[in-house]
Amino acid sequence: MNYLELLRALLPETALVVGALLALTFDLSFGVRQSRETRLHAAVIIGTLAVVAAMFGALSAGVADAVFGGVLVLDELTLASRLGVLMLAWLTLTLTGGTARLRHPAEFVAIVLFATAGFTLMAAAQQLLVAFLALELASLSLYILAGFDKSRPESAEAALKYFLFGGMSAAFLLFGFSLIYGLTGSIELPQIAHQLARQGQSPLLSLALVMVLVAFGFKAAAAPFHLWAPDVYEGAPVVSSALIASASKLAGFTLFVRLLWPGFGPAAGSVATAAGSPGWLPLVACLSAASLLLGNFAALAQSNVRRLLAYSAIAHAGVMLLGVIVAGDAGLGPLFYYVFTYGLATIGAFAVIAVVERAGCCQKITDLAGLHRRSPLLAGCFAVYLLSLAGIPPLAGFFGKFTVFAAALNLGGLAGPAGWLALLAIALSAVALYYYLVMLKQALVVAPADPASAPVPVPADAAIVLVFTALLLVLLGLFPSVVLRIF
Amino acid sequence: MNAHPYAFLALFGAVAVAFPLILLAVARLWFRFFQPPKPSLDKGAVYECGIAPSGDSWIQFKAHYYLYAILFLIFDVEVLFLLPFAVAFTTLPGGALVAMLVFLLLLAEGLVWAWHRGHLEWK
Repeated sequence: MNYLELLRALLPETALVVGALLALTFDLSFGVRQSRETRLHAAVIIGTLAVVAAMFGALSAGVADAVFGGVLVLDELTLASRLGVLMLAWLTLTLTGGTARLRHPAEFVAIVLFATAGFTLMAAAQQLLVAFLALELASLSLYILAGFDKSRPESAEAALKYFLFGGMSAAFLLFGFSLIYGLTGSIELPQIAHQLARQGQSPLLSLALVMVLVAFGFKAAAAPFHLWAPDVYEGAPVVSSALIASASKLAGFTLFVRLLWPGFGPAAGSVATAAGSPGWLPLVACLSAASLLLGNFAALAQSNVRRLLAYSAIAHAGVMLLGVIVAGDAGLGPLFYYVFTYGLATIGAFAVIAVVERAGCCQKITDLAGLHRRSPLLAGCFAVYLLSLAGIPPLAGFFGKFTVFAAALNLGGLAGPAGWLALLAIALSAVALYYYLVMLKQALVVAPADPASAPVPVPADAAIVLVFTALLLVLLGLFPSVVLRIF
Repeated sequence: MNAHPYAFLALFGAVAVAFPLILLAVARLWFRFFQPPKPSLDKGAVYECGIAPSGDSWIQFKAHYYLYAILFLIFDVEVLFLLPFAVAFTTLPGGALVAMLVFLLLLAEGLVWAWHRGHLEWK
């Protein structure tokens, strides 16, 4: 038990928490007589500094073996996931500075930083209790962020639904964890794997795995546990939705892939043959297929941009689950690349929505009409994000889908269920392309409903987010090995 | 005859279902035979401890004290963590003391925040 070693491993979290406390203290002392705008910008600057410090902390913590008696692990996945989460949090903060109108700006920034600390801790956790605590720190912060806009009833509804669903899933997760502990006598993942390999299958283990996967489904918004996602994406403040849709996904999938493969790997079962031996892999395959079908088809019927993005997030969760399935064989590269580029594209799309909503439009798809005239920058970036989400080369979304599907087809070929799942996902990508193009048509082709409609002003902070994410999506699509080489 | 070790759970479940059903059935029968429905204004009125009711029953309740409950809970849980720490204090390294002080500092900052924002004032 070396506390200095622990402190070094937790440098990013320390930087984030100190930054959050500083933002609050600054607001309480110097911010009292300032305007809301100044307080927001001060808080965002402090938050950005904290995130940058956390990035340096994550880099200086580096790659090491188990830390503090195996509580944390600092491998390549931890480092990549921490840096990815921090970058997405930085984008969220910058977007907050540009577009948000908040009654309590410092509190908002502080809670974003607390959530980010939860995410980075999730990326490093290697013990069930720490994993659960990190997940709850992140989730509780996200519930508050979802309900932050007290002037809109939709925001309160979103927060309440998210809280109830999230609380339920936390209960499931804890119950599953307690059963795992009862079966293996340990809460540390390597020991659990060791014990599970000795014990083999048992009914109690199946129950525990189902419990954990139900919770996983809730957190990842995978069908049939997706019901909270559309309401939260629609009702929460745009910036909160962006964080929930991007950084939280990346951290969640990092945590669960670590839990499932290094921890419960011996109980994986198999999807290589049609019958499939019992384990969690067939269950994840079912979740993936359900999410792909439901997300893509339900998205076709949406008229609200944010709800459409929520259903597309459910569909993408299906592909990410496929990435979890192939992670045992093809490594973590495909999954991480997919989730990270998805997070970038989503945060960009939400940035566009935030800027458009700030200019006074509501959230219908038809409100995007004539965006190319009203703001060419917004329309151009929007095209990059949506085409990347749809998987059009040379953008990053294409390569993400390509690596995941190729890895799935390598796993037992076309005949195995993973192969079928990949085929289903490829076919449904065509459906997805349709609804993304419906949005793009409004933004790029259709003339503005009101010919005299004013141009949409893009604040400088939001422009940074837009250009940065669009450029990164193009560059990562051209040079995917930059990310894939890490693993 | 040896009962299954979990057989009592089945019995327990059966009683748990039967008990409320029987009570509800008895109440229903009582209503059917001894209590003819004769609604009136007085019988349908809001119950207000026996005196004549004044005003609507759908009023907003002042629930501000939940803040005090939350703040109390913070320090309640803090004590819960401090007690085992105090018991094991002599065998712990210096790092543990620092960790505990950080924990206390975080909670104190929460109280300072609530105080400064005026959440402790009764409105």
